Amino acid sequence: MTKVLLIEDDSETAEEITAELADRGFEVEWSADGIEGLDKARSSRPDAMIVDRLLPGMNGLAVIESLRKDQVRTPVLVLSALGAVDDRIRGLRMGGDDYLTKPFAIVELVARVEALLRRPAESRDTTLRAGPLELDLIERTAKRGDRVIDLLPREFRLLEYMMQRSDQLLTRAMLLEEVWNYKFVPATNLVDVHMGRLRHKVDGPNDVPMIHNVRGAGFILRTGP
Amino acid sequence: MLQAQIIRSNTFRRALAVTGAFAVFVIVLFGFIYWQTDQYLIARSDRMIARQLNVISALPGERRLDAIDEHLRQDSRGVQYAGLFAADGRRIAGNLEQFPPELKMNDSVQSLSVVRTLPTGRETRTIRAVARRMPNGDALAIGREVDETREISHVVGQALALGLLPAFCLCLLAGAWLSMRAQERVEDVNQHVQRIIAGDLRERLPHRDVDDPFSRLAAIVNGMLDEMETMIHALAGVGNDIAHDLRTPLTRARLALERGRTNATTMEQLQAVADKAVANIDQSLTIITALLRLAAIENSRRSAAFGNVPLHELLREVCDIYEPIAENKNINLRVEVGHLLDVRGDRDLLLEAVANLVDNAIKFTPEGGKVDIELLLGDSEAIVRVSDTGPGISEQEREAVLRRFYRSDKIRSTPGVGLGLNLVAAIVKLHGFRLVIHSGPGGRLEIICPDEQMREERPWLADERKN
Repeated sequence: MTKVLLIEDDSETAEEITAELADRGFEVEWSADGIEGLDKARSSRPDAMIVDRLLPGMNGLAVIESLRKDQVRTPVLVLSALGAVDDRIRGLRMGGDDYLTKPFAIVELVARVEALLRRPAESRDTTLRAGPLELDLIERTAKRGDRVIDLLPREFRLLEYMMQRSDQLLTRAMLLEEVWNYKFVPATNLVDVHMGRLRHKVDGPNDVPMIHNVRGAGFILRTGP
Repeated sequence: MLQAQIIRSNTFRRALAVTGAFAVFVIVLFGFIYWQTDQYLIARSDRMIARQLNVISALPGERRLDAIDEHLRQDSRGVQYAGLFAADGRRIAGNLEQFPPELKMNDSVQSLSVVRTLPTGRETRTIRAVARRMPNGDALAIGREVDETREISHVVGQALALGLLPAFCLCLLAGAWLSMRAQERVEDVNQHVQRIIAGDLRERLPHRDVDDPFSRLAAIVNGMLDEMETMIHALAGVGNDIAHDLRTPLTRARLALERGRTNATTMEQLQAVADKAVANIDQSLTIITALLRLAAIENSRRSAAFGNVPLHELLREVCDIYEPIAENKNINLRVEVGHLLDVRGDRDLLLEAVANLVDNAIKFTPEGGKVDIELLLGDSEAIVRVSDTGPGISEQEREAVLRRFYRSDKIRSTPGVGLGLNLVAAIVKLHGFRLVIHSGPGGRLEIICPDEQMREERPWLADERKN
């Protein structure tokens, strides 16, 4: 069972998060302050951590720093009420961890935890496969079965990202951050328009649809039936 | 308490210092006068006894004795000394008991002490005296007591007492009075300021005439208070706008939940209600997030992390992102980059600013219209221009669009938060750039990036890459 350590001082938020993660089959351990959380992180070796940035006792970023010093590489999702105009957050993202601004939708949180747990392994393959889809990363060409799909550069990047995380819920915010490098949510439904075009190209009229819209949450590239 | 305050006050201390300096000056001046007068009187007395010596010594032998007697008799104050001594030291005439041993026979006046016998006893006196040897071998000595010096010091002391003390007292009084007046003004101002602190924003500092520095200061502070009052009212207005904009979606959410709780009979109906409520709450959260972000950008400083941002690439990227959206709306989105220009800045924020402008342009341009993104080269500045064939921004609206939550009446129906241009303005300001809004018809907004380090790179490549 996948173990998640939650360090969050607001008990109501913690309860909601715990309940939702438990529903999805995670084993959740909760700690209300930084020092205790750090102890638990060291002793129980969770698979992922969710850490509030402002904590009594020890601030969330300090908890992570001190874990990293001990060579503990557990992926962390940092929660914060503070805005994202901060260099330290950029550092966090580059280090493979993630950052979520409060308030957030619970699906967003779950999607990000799953993404942290299923980080794509470093691969030397030049070809990426997901179900009938095949991407040649050198030639920058895409195929579904025998049909060649003609993609614009941005569409290629979007499909590449989705194939690396197939069968995972990808929220609009995640796509904006990772594919478009956007650090903000634009007013227009950018992602939907781009996804609409990509879907049109990937899922032909006679194909089984692969790109699915999860209402109010985001998109999934399904490889199985 | 008040007295202590007066003494501690700067005004009073300064008055005290000035008074002290004045007193020292006056004392030195009096001392100088005393010394000068003394010198003058001694010189005069010296001339007198020298003349006396000449007169008496010029007389024939027997007349000399009479002249000495006459000379001493005329001296009512008893300050004159004379003596005629034989060659063997015996006194022939005069009131000097013996020839003063230290007196030199060389016609020059000198100071010396002599002992004088008076009815009251013997006294030692300091005198000025001169002596000469007569042709017959006698020695003649003439002297004078310089008692004027004492008189002068007496006069000077009196003048000091009569002149300086009252002046000193006057200075102190003036200092105390000025200090008290200043104290009163400060107390007066303090009372008004306390009222302002207590929340009465209309209170102003009192001021009488314009020439008084205190009044001028008060007038300056009042000007500042006017400005602040206006600003605070403006802020309160923003607060009201925020409250209003937040209340609308929250009211909708509340209504949906309330109705859903009473009327929903199936799971599907309840879910529909919940979805509606969540959407409305999300809308209010979006507003709050945008406001916080705006505040964060406005409060951040020029970051050391600023790097080189190639504007040409940035514009192409924005165009790439918005191309499908424009196409969906049947709008012709074009990017025209005639130059390859770098500026120093935060790439993400600049992308956000340009994206916001393009987002707005597409949103407000009717179907079949055009949106152009251009990168132009000014005199020493890069210009990012976003123009469209939409309604544009009228002269009257130019100021207003930068106000928070402002949404033109023409576009009330278009969805949006109404903070987009605020964000652009904040980002532009953070970079030290300028946002220029041209009035319609057709929207035309420019971000002007003056950059001393700006350079045109590889211009020969520009044409090639335009395609």
